[in-house]
Amino acid sequence: MLTTALIVVPFAAALFLWLFPLPREYASAFAILASLVEVGLWIGGAIRFDFSGGLQFSARHNWFSDLGVSYHVGFYGFSLWLAGLTVVVCACSIGYGVWAGREHPRAYFGLMLFLTGSVVGVFASQDLLLFYAFFEAMLIPLYVLVGVWGGPNRVRATVMFVIYTMVGSLLMLASIVAFGISQHTFSLVDSGTSGNNWIFLGFALAFAVKAPLFPFHGWIRQAYTEASPEVAAVLSGVVSKAAVFGFIMIVLPHFPGPVHDFRTTILVLAAIGLAYGSVLAFRQPDIRGVIAYSSLGQMSLIILGVFASSSLGIDGAVLQSVTHGLVSAAMFLLAGMVERQWGTGEFARLGGAAKGRPVLTTMLLVAGMFTLAVPGSANFAGEFLILAGVFPLGWGYAAVGAVAMVLAAMYTLRVLSAVLHDRKSDAPDVSSADLRFGQLALVVPLVACLLALSVWPNAVSGHSFSRTPNLAIFQYVHAGPFQTGQVHMAGK
Amino acid sequence: MIAAAWLCLLAPLAGALAITFGGQRLSRRAAGWLSTASVFVAFGGAVVAFFAMVGRDTAAQRSELSTPFTWLSAGTFHVGMSILVDPVSIVMMLVVSGVGGLIVLYSIGYMEGEDEERRYFAYMAFFVFAMLLLVEGGNLLLLLAGWGLVGLASYLLIGFYHQRPEAVAAAKKAFIMNAIGDATMALGFFLLIAKTGTLSYGASFAAAPHLSSTTVNLVALGLLGGAVAKSAQLPLQTWLPDAMEGPTPVSALIHAATMVTAGVYLIVRTHPIFEQAHHVEDLAAGLGAATLVIAGLIALVQNDIKRVIAYSTMSQIGYMFLGAGLGAYANAMFHLVTHAFFKALLFLAAGVIIHHLAGEQDIRQMGGLKKFMPKTWLVFLVGSLSLVGVPPFSGFWSKDAIVATALARGGIYGWILFVAALFGALLTGIYTFRLFFRVFYGEPSALVLEHAGAAHGDHGHGTESATGHSEHAHGEAPQTMALPVAILAVLSTVGGLLQVAGAWHPFGRWIAQTGAPLVEPTTSQDWIVSVITVAIGLTGSWVAWAIYRTGRLAVPSAPGLQRLFEHKFYFDELYDAVVSRPAQLVASRLRTDFEGPYVEGSLVEIGHAGGDAGGLVARLQTGRLRVYAFAIAASLVVLGIVFLAVR
Repeated sequence: MLTTALIVVPFAAALFLWLFPLPREYASAFAILASLVEVGLWIGGAIRFDFSGGLQFSARHNWFSDLGVSYHVGFYGFSLWLAGLTVVVCACSIGYGVWAGREHPRAYFGLMLFLTGSVVGVFASQDLLLFYAFFEAMLIPLYVLVGVWGGPNRVRATVMFVIYTMVGSLLMLASIVAFGISQHTFSLVDSGTSGNNWIFLGFALAFAVKAPLFPFHGWIRQAYTEASPEVAAVLSGVVSKAAVFGFIMIVLPHFPGPVHDFRTTILVLAAIGLAYGSVLAFRQPDIRGVIAYSSLGQMSLIILGVFASSSLGIDGAVLQSVTHGLVSAAMFLLAGMVERQWGTGEFARLGGAAKGRPVLTTMLLVAGMFTLAVPGSANFAGEFLILAGVFPLGWGYAAVGAVAMVLAAMYTLRVLSAVLHDRKSDAPDVSSADLRFGQLALVVPLVACLLALSVWPNAVSGHSFSRTPNLAIFQYVHAGPFQTGQVHMAGK
Repeated sequence: MIAAAWLCLLAPLAGALAITFGGQRLSRRAAGWLSTASVFVAFGGAVVAFFAMVGRDTAAQRSELSTPFTWLSAGTFHVGMSILVDPVSIVMMLVVSGVGGLIVLYSIGYMEGEDEERRYFAYMAFFVFAMLLLVEGGNLLLLLAGWGLVGLASYLLIGFYHQRPEAVAAAKKAFIMNAIGDATMALGFFLLIAKTGTLSYGASFAAAPHLSSTTVNLVALGLLGGAVAKSAQLPLQTWLPDAMEGPTPVSALIHAATMVTAGVYLIVRTHPIFEQAHHVEDLAAGLGAATLVIAGLIALVQNDIKRVIAYSTMSQIGYMFLGAGLGAYANAMFHLVTHAFFKALLFLAAGVIIHHLAGEQDIRQMGGLKKFMPKTWLVFLVGSLSLVGVPPFSGFWSKDAIVATALARGGIYGWILFVAALFGALLTGIYTFRLFFRVFYGEPSALVLEHAGAAHGDHGHGTESATGHSEHAHGEAPQTMALPVAILAVLSTVGGLLQVAGAWHPFGRWIAQTGAPLVEPTTSQDWIVSVITVAIGLTGSWVAWAIYRTGRLAVPSAPGLQRLFEHKFYFDELYDAVVSRPAQLVASRLRTDFEGPYVEGSLVEIGHAGGDAGGLVARLQTGRLRVYAFAIAASLVVLGIVFLAVR
């Protein structure tokens, strides 16, 4: 029931907004209310969730019994966290849309809510066709949101985005059909394993585009800079995690053979992406460019963890998915606030923002420190687990990760000083207004979640797979080549 | 004991949070006192824990681990949110919170009238919290967490004057150099996890002797990388002098007394790993020796009062690395403690001078200050004598113990280290008293005379309080500044009596409960070395006197060497040419020559070819939004009907 409610509430709210001609204020308030209901539902679910209990809050109704298609939804520990990330980030992003006063509010907020419902649906799906439907439903509002409400180059950005994701989606559809027919069921719970490389590649490519994984990232720079900030926040913070979900739920458990054969290829691509994204982030001329390439690096890191085939790697990947989602959303929203006040996000025309704006300074500094994963932060905890998990497969991956840690410090501090400190001569004079309460209310929840997770990162890492080691679909993880505690040195 | 230790850790964090959330509701002065109080509460906790520990009998009882919850776990790998209270960590807790409290108190006077005082005091309390987390953290990962957070606090405080580009650049440099150290430490930890499955002190130390020599050497090397970055030792030393861009109390607390000595604490803490890695131990000692000489040479030619003291800090930490690398843990820790006293004293006294001269730091603009600042002269003399190692001041007892350890190690390497340490003592004498004579003797400069007159009237800081002002009538500092300086002067004078070679070793026995020394000089070695070292230190002081006081000796003319020292051995230039520029070039070329044309460009071609798609999207923006939304909704409905019908 709860899972279905989490999916249906935003869809219903979207439909309501599209059908009834509410004035702007009411439409905005309604959208915020719906997104808060969503957060409340999730919290209620998380409290009752038994993290050692496998699939929960599940609902199953046969759809086409002869084809083995069913409406089957529910959450595992890790997917519950991804859904939590979704509802929080989407609520803040919808709030940002309200604050920014987007045109056509009913259409706009309807699409945002539709997007929220689709992403939650993706994370809850236990059936391949259902997964595909939600995956596509997630992309359609994104095309429109980027294409209509985006920046000056939105058309080009949308074309690139559509081409990339369409190719990925078609390949995935072919793979789904082939896999489902060969297995006589589309259920992710009931189906067995497959050794077919082509089916595997169809899935892997679709997720590699979505994540993105080097070299399939050509769309991100345009999409992340041309989309409005709150859409970029959802796109990089949440939608990219659909790829992580896909890899963990579909690829790892159902394609053990191909995963084994292609693991090195994927790990190498991820390591390249990590280094490449971090290096490119260092030379970007504007805030959002830095966040875009930083996201490429961070998503590559998460893929490293997913394919590390160790519990450190995969638990770390889930933790890193949540923390990266929160911090990249916070950074995009802050970038949007800076862009609105200064009229630009280009470093060449920014600077000196720290003077007289203690609140903005504090928020940017805190978000920046999470971006560069200062030791002690939740982001560091995730990064550390992933790299420790992948280390036994090759010290080179961890070495790349260590270099990326230094690069992350370099590109993040560059953003911070370019915006807050170095005052440029041709920077526009703007009113010295600091962040107001309304803006704070959009960013503070994200930062507060990150701070809470820094105090207790184990909330995510220790409550994803660790407590369900016997779950059939995750056998792969625990049967990997590396188990911690091989040398039995017990103790804490 | 544990409860007091938790209080010690959390009180400064509470102070920092209270100031942050209090914001404008707190007056500036209240923020200062709140910060000071929270650090002194931490000191109180440390004192209580210390006496509780003294009351216990065995070394095992004196070491206690407390783990309220699991901080991070995955599979069978667990890291607790734990603190460890043992003889080594309690010494660090006392130093960090005690000296820290004095310096935050001093800041109340020093920072008066600055913009953004509240931010300063929140950062200071946060730093003390992070440093306490570093020394109390009960496993390697929490140590690394504290390690990173002190780096963050250091970044924030070096860049406190954020309108000054130099300060921002220095803050960035410090953070990035420390990030390199963090990364090497993390690499060492990954290896340790792969081989032992744990990062807890107890289990990983117990496993260390069973690891292969390559493994343990690599782990130790990773740790050493972190240590040299944090403690500004070769080859990651270049950030420390630049860090002097921060306010002077920050230099005293973070870049002299506490954070930069964390590398020494790290080696002492993880000594069971280092003891299995002899080459890395020798490397640590060698890097310490090299740093103490090179930093001493550079200090000879610096003209900024804070930079002279900063190079002296690098040099003294070199002594500590030398001691810790040789396995003389107690001696290294002893020098860490006395150095915290006398170096904090020197920085704070320098701060009084800078404050008095309205921000001037160039010693060529000073001179003859003895007449105008007699109290500051006295405490500066105490600090200088202690630094040079003249008995009975504290630096004498602790530095000589390290030099004697180098002699006791023996072998060619031991002799090299010994000679380097003695040469360093000579340099210390020269640069210390060069500074002292330059500042306090000679003809008063115009600047000094101007401010001497001003001491009775307007002081350049517009908003002195009543008490502060009456103090200024005596020409020196307000009470909040004078009191900490006086306490540190007393500690610098008597602090060395914690340990007297051959007679009295409570400190050595205390530390030995955590790490027994590998090398111990005999009493005769101790006393012989003391005589030699004091003689050399005094020789150096005499040279400085002859050159800078009486002018009997001329500065030796060696323009090549002078330039080498002034350019700090060209390390900055080297790193710029070898690391910075190539990295930036690669990044720029990747962006313009690969990402643009190939990764993004290929798509543009496809985009142009599929012009229809572009046209379709272009039409979207022409107000046909509703049509499009309707199309989506309609297609979904049709899809649903089809599914239901087929069923």
